[in-house]
Formats: sequence, C-alpha cells, structure tokens
Amino acid sequence: MTPRPGWWSRNWASLAAIAAMAGVWEILSFIYTAEAAPGEPMVPGWEIVFGRTLLSLADYWGGGLGVASVAEGAPPSYTAAVLAIISNSFDTIVRLYTGLIAGAAAGTALGLAVSWSPWPRRVVDSPLQFLRTLPLLAMVPLFQLWFGTEFIGKVAFVAYGIGVIFFAGVANAVRNVPQIFIDNARTFGASRATLYRTVIFPAILPELRATMLLALGTGWGAVLGAEYLGAQSGLGYMIVYSEQFAYLDRMFFVALLFVLYASVSYALFDRVSRRLLDWTAKSGQVSATL
Amino acid sequence: MSDVKIEASALSRSYRRADGAEVKALSAVDLRIEAGQFVCLVGPSGCGKTTLLQIIAGLVPPSGGNIVVNGQRVTAPGPSRGMVFQKDSVFPWMRVHANVEYGLSCRGVAKAERQKVAAQYLERVGLSHVAGAWPRELSGGMLKRVAVATVFANGADVLLLDEPFGALDYVTKRQLHDVLLTLWAEGEAGRRRTVVFVTHDVDEAMILADRIVVLRAGRVVDDLAVAADRPRTTDALLLPGMVRIKHILLTHLGLEAAR
Ligand SMILES: Nc1ncnc2c1ncn2[C@@H]1O[C@H](COP(=O)(O)OP(=O)(O)OP(=O)(O)O)[C@@H](O)[C@H]1O
Ligand SMILES: [Mg+2]
Repeated sequence: MTPRPGWWSRNWASLAAIAAMAGVWEILSFIYTAEAAPGEPMVPGWEIVFGRTLLSLADYWGGGLGVASVAEGAPPSYTAAVLAIISNSFDTIVRLYTGLIAGAAAGTALGLAVSWSPWPRRVVDSPLQFLRTLPLLAMVPLFQLWFGTEFIGKVAFVAYGIGVIFFAGVANAVRNVPQIFIDNARTFGASRATLYRTVIFPAILPELRATMLLALGTGWGAVLGAEYLGAQSGLGYMIVYSEQFAYLDRMFFVALLFVLYASVSYALFDRVSRRLLDWTAKSGQVSATL
Repeated sequence: MSDVKIEASALSRSYRRADGAEVKALSAVDLRIEAGQFVCLVGPSGCGKTTLLQIIAGLVPPSGGNIVVNGQRVTAPGPSRGMVFQKDSVFPWMRVHANVEYGLSCRGVAKAERQKVAAQYLERVGLSHVAGAWPRELSGGMLKRVAVATVFANGADVLLLDEPFGALDYVTKRQLHDVLLTLWAEGEAGRRRTVVFVTHDVDEAMILADRIVVLRAGRVVDDLAVAADRPRTTDALLLPGMVRIKHILLTHLGLEAAR
C-alpha cells in the first residue's frame, strides 16, 4: 500500500480554489460599486463583512449574560455580535436536528413498513406518494398559519420535508435488496423481524447514505424557509430582517455561516457513514485506476 | 425399511419469462429420498436442478404436485433444511465469523457457543485466518467455503447443496468432500443427515453419492444406485461397477453415444 499523502498535499488544490473564489469576490467589490441602499454595497468586500457587518450583528442580541442589547441603548460590541451569532445559530441548529431526527425516523419506519406486508402498503403508500408531490416551500405559509411562531411548527416542517425524502428513499432501497440475501436468511429460519434487522436494514444503508445527503440539503433549506415566515430568532430570521432594511452585507454574512455549518454537518456525516459502510467495496475511484 | 425424508410427487414448475415465453423448469418429477441418503443430482445446464432444490427448500412454490419433507408439506423455508446457493449468498455487511454464526444466532444460540462452533467450522474449511475479514476481501472460492461453513455450522438435518464446490480448486474440493462426508455421518443421535447435492462433475458425484439422479429438461431420466464402499479411493472409481455408472452418466450428458 502506498502511504496516504499528507492532509496538505491532498487538499491544497481545493483550498487554493476557495481562496481564488474569495479573491474574485473582493475584486468584484472594487469594480462593481452599486449600492442597494445608501452605504449598503451590492457586493460587500471582506473588510466590510468581517468589520462593520460583524459588529452590526449585535442588533440581534436580545440581552442577557451581562451583555446589554443594542435595543436597551448599549453601543454595538463584538461580544454582543458573537453572542447573537451563537444564540441564533443554536436555535436554527436545534430546530434542524430535532426535525431531521424525527423525520428520518418516521420516514424510515414508514418506508420499511410498506415492504413488511400488503396492508401498510395499501394504507400508507398512496397518501405519501401524494404528499411527496406537494412542493415543500409552498407549504411554508400553511405551516405558519397552523403553528404560528411555535418551535414545534418549524420542527414539524423540517420533519415533514425530510420524512418524505426518507420514506421514498427507504421504500426504494428495500426493493433493491438482492433476493439471494433474503432467501439465504430465510433458509436459516430468520423471523421477519430478524430479517429486517440483519439483512434489509444493513443492505439498504449504502443507499440511505445518498438519501441522508439529500435530506441534509433539504433540511437546511426547510429550516430556513420555516424561519423566514414564522420565527423571532434563528439564521432565517436574521436574513429576513436584514432583507427588510436592504442590509445585503448581513445577508451575505449569514449565508457564509450556512456554508460553514452545512459543510461541518456533511463532514461529520461522512465520517460516521464511512465507518458504518466499511464493508462496502471502495468504488468510484476511476481516476486512480486509469 | 427406512423412513422417507423427502418426497416429491408429480412436481412441476413453470416460469413465465419477461419476454412472455413459458419455461417448464420441472415437469412431473417423482422422487423419494430416504433419511440418511446422499443423493447427487446431475444434468445439463438449465435442466431444473436449482429449481428442484429451491422447491425442496421452500423458497419457490411448485406450480403443481406436492413436496413433503419430514412428513410435512413444505410451504416455507426453515432451519431444518440448510441450503448452499449456487450464487454468492454471503452477507457482505457481516464479517466472515458473523456470517458463519448467522444460522445459530437466528436460533438464539448463546454468543460463546456460537463463536465456538463458528471457529470450528471455519477451521474445517480452512478459513480460520480470515475470520475477522470482510467478505469483499475474499476470493470467490473462499466465499463459497464461507457459505458452506455457515450451512454446516447450523447443522440442519437436510442439506441442499447447489454446486457448492464448483468454483474450487481440486485440492480444496477434495478436502471439503471429506468435511462434507464427516458432517453427513455425524447427524443427531448417530443418524446420518440427508444430502441433496447438485453437481456437474461426474467424478464428484461418484465419490460422494449413494444414489445419482439424472435430470434432463425438467424430468428425472435416470436413477442410479452407487454401492461402492466408503471411503472411496481413486481405485474405487476404477471398479467395473463404477466405470459402468460413469459411462451411463456420460451418455446422459451427451458426451458418449449410447451403447
Ligand atoms: N426466476 C426465473 N424466471 C424465469 N425462468 C427461470 C427462472 N429460474 C429458472 N428459470 C428457467 O428454468 C430453467 C431451469 O433453471 P434452473 O436454474 O433450475 O437450471 P439448473 O439445472 O440449475 O441449471 P445450471 O446447471 O446451469 O445451474 C431454465 O430454463 C431457466 O431459464
Ligand atoms: Mg443451477
């Protein structure tokens, strides 16, 4: 086995590409100087984003922990800004992951149920196929009217969006499990529950990985969508609030936070799933073998 | 008189292929297999050997006729009939030892006991050194041996083996013949197990079988008793009676003209 190249030699090209992107943005900010509102550039350069913009996020700190809020008359401070970022991010992430876990569990359970026996299929399949075709973002106002600004409303919305994806992904993956494995388990006298635990579930895991990646993307979108309309906190709320005042730089800053959080959650998921899927053959390495 | 273990009467099975054609995989098969018998099924490719085994296992329902094992009509698979499949059936998501323990864990055998039995059968098929490996790290022949060890470890009373050693080299094959014959002889309460063994290999059939059933185009066309003493040496295959059987089999397979 050839030694694994170091982290730096594996990643320098990607890092350079990202740095180049940042550079292009900075150059654009000098060339294209139009403003959305007086003092609000359409393309805020990095010196603005990590200076004035960051400081202005103190507006979203509601006070507490000995740090007074801007609304109470305190001048904006970096401490308040960082606290604002942490608390709003925390709210969004809790909504996202509560919804994600609930939706993934419910979707997986229903997806397995439709293959279990004919009755769940008859009862569950058609309604869920119907729900699947409803566009997710079009449902945001509906959920807002139902739940108002309640925590449960945002969680339910995320869970709904992700549950539908998981249901379809799991039901499809179960259909793709090779018959030979099912036959093999049955000749050993595996009960139906044992069959699901020892054969169906592990066999669908590789496909569930793709479903999970899709669901993570949808989940971030869904939690934002839910916060646009019905929240008093969270990253989506910060974006909507900024939009009303044409604070383009703040919207951009929050978008960057999204990129950061989404990347971290993808990376974490990748590590966990790699361990669970150690048994699958390494594939997709065309470039290494050609 | 010994008791009948497997009884197929007027068994038939047809498939409708995706192109609409009707395939008769088995037609009117009558077969009685006594408890403790070692039966080899031979016949040209596509003659219905796998289909017959799947029906006995309970994986495929017959289109017509009856299949009775242990005095009971077969309607579903069960642990009393172990099957080694022609295709790869080893679970890729379980390490080799976990695969071999699978049947035992389905029956609720305690972990320590399971591990002991699995280790013993892995040893017998010569795979102790890969007990902790993933199946993807094994060769085709090794995978086959894992499947064999799994079925043997489960100790079913009836063993249905679909070309289990077809992919193996000569030496390994001969070693596994001995393992199989030992296992066959050591059934519960000193009674032999019942084995139905599908093979393309005429010599393999003559080394192993009490009886060779020849299938062609979904029908039983011959049923030969092999009386030679065991263990059968290379010389035993040269006895006049055995040579006569070999000629008959080769004729059935179309390799020799009828005499
Ligand atoms: N699931 C199926 N659908 C359609 N046709 C089938 C199916 N399974 C088997 N057949 C057909 O039934 C016939 C008998 O197949 P079978 O697998 O029993 O043959 P076999 O004797 O085991 O052959 P081989 O020695 O090549 O394994 C073949 O013509 C095959 O095409
Ligand atoms: Mg076959």
